[in-house]
Amino acid sequence: ENEDNPIEVPFNFKTYMYQKGNSVNEALENSITVKEPIKIHEAMRYSLLAGGKRVRPVLCIAACELVGGDELTAMPSACAVEMIHTMSLIHDDLPCMDNDDLRRGKPTNHKVFGEDVAVLAGDALLAYAFEHIVNETRGVSSTRIVRVVGELAKVIGTEGLVAGQVVDMESGGLTEVGLEKLEFIHIHKTAALLEGSVVIGAILGGASDEEIEKLRKFARCIGLLFQVVDDILDVTKSSQELGKTAGKDLMTDKATYPKLIGIEKSREFAAKLNKDARDQLSEFDSVKAAPLICLADYIANRQN
Amino acid sequence: SVSASPSSNQIQFDLKTYWKTLIKEINQKLDEAIPVKYPDQIYESMRYSVLDKAAKRAPPIMFIASAELFGVPRRAAFPTACALEMVHAASLIHDDLPCMDDDFTRRGRPTNHAIYGEDMAILAGDALFPLGFQHIVTNTPTDIIPEARILRVISEFARAVGSTGMAAGQFLDLTNADKNLEFVQEKKFGEMAECSAACGGLLAGADDEEVARLRRYGRTVGVLYQMVDDVLKAKEMKGEGKKNKEKMSYVSVHGVEKALEMIEKLRTKAKKELDGFDKYGYEKVAPLYSFVDYAVHRGFVVVDNQDDVSEASL
Repeated sequence: ENEDNPIEVPFNFKTYMYQKGNSVNEALENSITVKEPIKIHEAMRYSLLAGGKRVRPVLCIAACELVGGDELTAMPSACAVEMIHTMSLIHDDLPCMDNDDLRRGKPTNHKVFGEDVAVLAGDALLAYAFEHIVNETRGVSSTRIVRVVGELAKVIGTEGLVAGQVVDMESGGLTEVGLEKLEFIHIHKTAALLEGSVVIGAILGGASDEEIEKLRKFARCIGLLFQVVDDILDVTKSSQELGKTAGKDLMTDKATYPKLIGIEKSREFAAKLNKDARDQLSEFDSVKAAPLICLADYIANRQN
Repeated sequence: SVSASPSSNQIQFDLKTYWKTLIKEINQKLDEAIPVKYPDQIYESMRYSVLDKAAKRAPPIMFIASAELFGVPRRAAFPTACALEMVHAASLIHDDLPCMDDDFTRRGRPTNHAIYGEDMAILAGDALFPLGFQHIVTNTPTDIIPEARILRVISEFARAVGSTGMAAGQFLDLTNADKNLEFVQEKKFGEMAECSAACGGLLAGADDEEVARLRRYGRTVGVLYQMVDDVLKAKEMKGEGKKNKEKMSYVSVHGVEKALEMIEKLRTKAKKELDGFDKYGYEKVAPLYSFVDYAVHRGFVVVDNQDDVSEASL
């Protein structure tokens, strides 16, 4: 798929994802050790190390490397964005929220550890993400780290993940959810953290304000792209292929792109977002931009 | 019983005015820090808990007193002061949830989830934690406070609410409090005060030993305050012939007499930690000394509060 627009440089994306994914997994494994109280730390690790594609951390590292930084500089923040992603999943899955039993093919956190521990493990991951960035980032000025903290804080709360979840909750089951509201949900629930991951990587790598803004736009496009593709997959794939309950959005009468504009238009929209994303990278070195271009394609073409 | 001997250790400092003046300013700044936007309900839920008129604002007041000890101007301290209340509120909202302590009232009002629902309460907490961090990094004037210090404050906040801090205290309280009673009490009630006092030193760029001293001071006062609360409640219950259905506390485990002994010990310990700061001048340390006495004697009402045991005396 999408072979009409191949990149010109020899770049092995599979190897890249494999290597970066491994580094991220290793760093995550070492980021939280089991200590007292054991159950909380086990619950944090259970969800944090449950696999997942590590798209956000890899985006963070790739953005850092694009502007001249290195992997080690970005790694604490790369781990932090995955911690934030994980905490939001743990809380969203709770019975009083989306009430999900299955996540990444495994029982959800509260199913294994209980609701109380799941709430606390989420809170602890949230806090630890900031602690990890501040205590473990090396070779970056305090000014830039302060900016990173501000950026991460912004994407979690009422300007990000939480706002998306709130509007999503109040829209569940409503048939009159329009495109505008759907986009609000996705931009906040999904795109914000992807955007944050890229921008944080860029800040750490020493990007100029202009570069940061280009990468921010790039990330916003792929963030929305991510969700459009998710919606399409929910309609077209089985639970087993997805590792989570398929068709759930349809069953719960949730608004999705296929429902609002149809599958074909959804696919067209996805292609446009991918192109818009790529356009933002046109002024960067094409060899260095290859990972981000391929990541966008990967998000567009993923099957689960 | 513990009684105040007016001659011993009495600091002539008007804590009541200090506290009440600061509460006004903090409340106003908190009000401005959380404007209602779309989606409204989440902001309203956050405001409901953060702007609680019955909140005594003890953490930010202790923090400001610690920061002022080293000469930090108030305008540089207010962002962190507000953040302490945001983070404190977040942790209380989550502690009250049905799957946790299952509380319906807090400070005489329905809890957050009782009004806004469990889902919104979880999200309000999730939003208040990062808002606290964001508030600090966005509003702390960097011409007064270098960024490196701001980062130390962020790290301290995260530690205090995290998996070995307040979250640990809440977890152990839910599960095996009897095994670790003192540890749980320290985590649940000492951690916030420790963070508040320590952040004053961190923001000011105090040296490690001074920060460590403030840490021990804060922790001690936090536990002391709670223990006095527990004794007062136990006495009130006894007077009314009620059974104490409160959770495990030092008082319910060791009895009032032992608790009173412990209260004296904590009070002495807290003040001893402050001795090292006398070099900054008597009037600079006075607010911190007077907190210790207030924790024991509750000589005035900070805010009207139905749940409050202020002005009761031991």
